Amino acid sequence: MPSGTASSWVPVALSSDLPSGTVMPARIPAGPLALWRSQSGHVAASADRCPHRGMSLSHGFVRGETLSCIYHGWSYGQAGNCLRIPAHPGLTPPEAIRTVTHPVAEADGVIWIAVGEPAGTPPALAGLVPLRSLAAFAGIAAIEAAAGTRANAAGLLEAEDIRLLLSSAREGETLIHVLVEADASPAARIAAARAAEGLRRKAEDFQKKGAAR
Amino acid sequence: MMKLYDYILSPSCYKVRLMAALTGVKLDLRAVDFHPGLEHRGPELLALNPAGSIPILEDGDLLLTESSAMLVYLAAKAAPGWLAGSDAEEAARVQQWLSFSGRLTASLGGARLHEMLLRPGDIGVLQSQGIAALRELELGLVEQAERGKRFLAADRPTVADIACFPYVALAPDGGVSLDPYPAIRLWSRALRSLKGFIEMPGIHRLHELKPEPQLEAGGA
Repeated sequence: MPSGTASSWVPVALSSDLPSGTVMPARIPAGPLALWRSQSGHVAASADRCPHRGMSLSHGFVRGETLSCIYHGWSYGQAGNCLRIPAHPGLTPPEAIRTVTHPVAEADGVIWIAVGEPAGTPPALAGLVPLRSLAAFAGIAAIEAAAGTRANAAGLLEAEDIRLLLSSAREGETLIHVLVEADASPAARIAAARAAEGLRRKAEDFQKKGAAR
Repeated sequence: MMKLYDYILSPSCYKVRLMAALTGVKLDLRAVDFHPGLEHRGPELLALNPAGSIPILEDGDLLLTESSAMLVYLAAKAAPGWLAGSDAEEAARVQQWLSFSGRLTASLGGARLHEMLLRPGDIGVLQSQGIAALRELELGLVEQAERGKRFLAADRPTVADIACFPYVALAPDGGVSLDPYPAIRLWSRALRSLKGFIEMPGIHRLHELKPEPQLEAGGA
């Protein structure tokens, strides 16, 4: 996501890293998220905080079509509404108990969160497929300096030897999604996965030295 | 019966308990007052292990003080499928990650001891070494996935996975986040899904694998 843009689609995770029936932590500028996929495959994103006692919902678990908190088992639907409080089995939870949710789109193997009200759909990856995600202690400017080229408005950076989709979640930290050609060989895919480590080292070095400022 | 000198909060002891549970071996557990009693530094345990570390595994004449050796022993006795097969690459990968697990103990384990038991050390250095090790493990798992393998050395779990899993899973105890490692997250799930998996404090089972508990309405 380019910084300074009020509304945009933020690529927070890869589809392959969130199988059905699982939850994972993610991050947007507004804060941490619990990103989860129901048993039937629907992806939803909620603020990473149970309204009951503040526990991270990303530490919870998915059963069927609901996300449950690990602490007391309060369960939530995709719309963020509380569906069940195990200690009060006879109670229909009031409408007021809900988590803050965010619109999600899944395209080209990437899970995107709408921040603000972005127009249209997430940017297309044009023949590229995602390979892996990795976090860097470096801002986008340091990653651009390490790669020797700039990212476009959608956060897509195409250098000679590596293609990245960048998502800046907080100051000085960037989530990097490594992309490869859809028809890349297994050897080329492994090479790209390794190349990203070198790029991250270089970017973090730039960040430390302040060279990217 | 094999006797394990054990401490419930020790990830290295948990490796041996977990391996035994997964391979169906019964252990005679002898609790050691590691903290605050420092019993592992007392004369009785130093006589068994001059290095003053736990776990210690006794089986008749055999006395082991290195957890990786205990994993190999349990697997060889009860479930050889957990050892490397005849493939050279697989055998090398098992050894690679068994040795690597020592770096997890030194870095993430050191950070955890510093944060939980106030063990002296440079926490910043321990944490950054831990992050470096997690990144290495993450890449290893990404590469294995590209080879169609879900675990560190093969498409089945081996002693190498059990050697690496506990200190990784407990990284947050040492102030090291596990959030940025999707491949480690999936690997951890796969290990916790294994039949016979047991917990330790800080490493819980997958609740979704158990049926939903039902209370009678009106009872609360």
